Amino acid sequence: MAINILIVDDSAVMRAMILKSLRMTGLDIGETYQAGNGQEGLEALNDNWVDMVIVDINMPVMNGEEMIGQMRENPATADIPIVVISTEGSEARLERLREKGAAFIHKPFTPETIRDTMRTMLHLEEND
Amino acid sequence: MTDQIAEAKETIYQVAEDVLEKLAFLFSFREEERGPMDYGSAVVASVSFTGQFKGRLLMAVSSEMLPELAANMLGIEEETSPEEQRDALKELINVICGNLLPEIAGRKQLFNVNTPRILPSGEIEAIISDKNPAATAKLALEEGQCDLILYLDDAGPGVSLEPETPEP
Repeated sequence: MAINILIVDDSAVMRAMILKSLRMTGLDIGETYQAGNGQEGLEALNDNWVDMVIVDINMPVMNGEEMIGQMRENPATADIPIVVISTEGSEARLERLREKGAAFIHKPFTPETIRDTMRTMLHLEEND
Repeated sequence: MTDQIAEAKETIYQVAEDVLEKLAFLFSFREEERGPMDYGSAVVASVSFTGQFKGRLLMAVSSEMLPELAANMLGIEEETSPEEQRDALKELINVICGNLLPEIAGRKQLFNVNTPRILPSGEIEAIISDKNPAATAKLALEEGQCDLILYLDDAGPGVSLEPETPEP
């Protein structure tokens, strides 16, 4: 089954880097959608079915933490797996994200880190 | 030079070398002995931050390095646009700053890193002439140079970074 993914980051370069890394994971990547902040991300979720959301924390308009909070409050998006990719180093903020069920990948990252995190979050086998 | 400044400088070097290699596939070499770059012919990004201490980090890169830097980050062989090149530099300084602050202050500290921007040349001169940096790291890239300059506006309790003595 192809995995549809929404990438939310205010940097177009970082979105392109994440997309490039996703294509290098060897996983069956389906449709990918992009948004420049949390508000646009929520709008994209209204319009598209995705299996996973990859989101940054520090963004203008609506940051990643607020977007994740709103996703968890909406029954339609509450169970979508979320991976936060960020430079965030504060233990307190990371703990808040973990409490909301999000996995965390630290920038700079490798495709292998993304692949392994996705396998865990989506309960994929080695040969999926 | 105090031990704290030496530690901050070493941390900048370590973080910058790691991020440049992993994010932009660029190997860098320390050039401690050389003077500052010619910032007039470089592209300079700036990111400010607040938290236990506040300030800003500048990253200057030789303009001729930017196309390779952006192409490496984007994983493309075709020519990148000036906008993509500037965005790539902004993302690099964002990741460097985001990794640098917890290394200096500890992971229990909460910092807010603002959106990076490219500085116009007039502003660069104003910043550099206005105050001395807390630490500066000077790197050689494959076909250019890179300077990282850390300025602290207000070192809070427990932070004893003091400005570097200006070079003669």
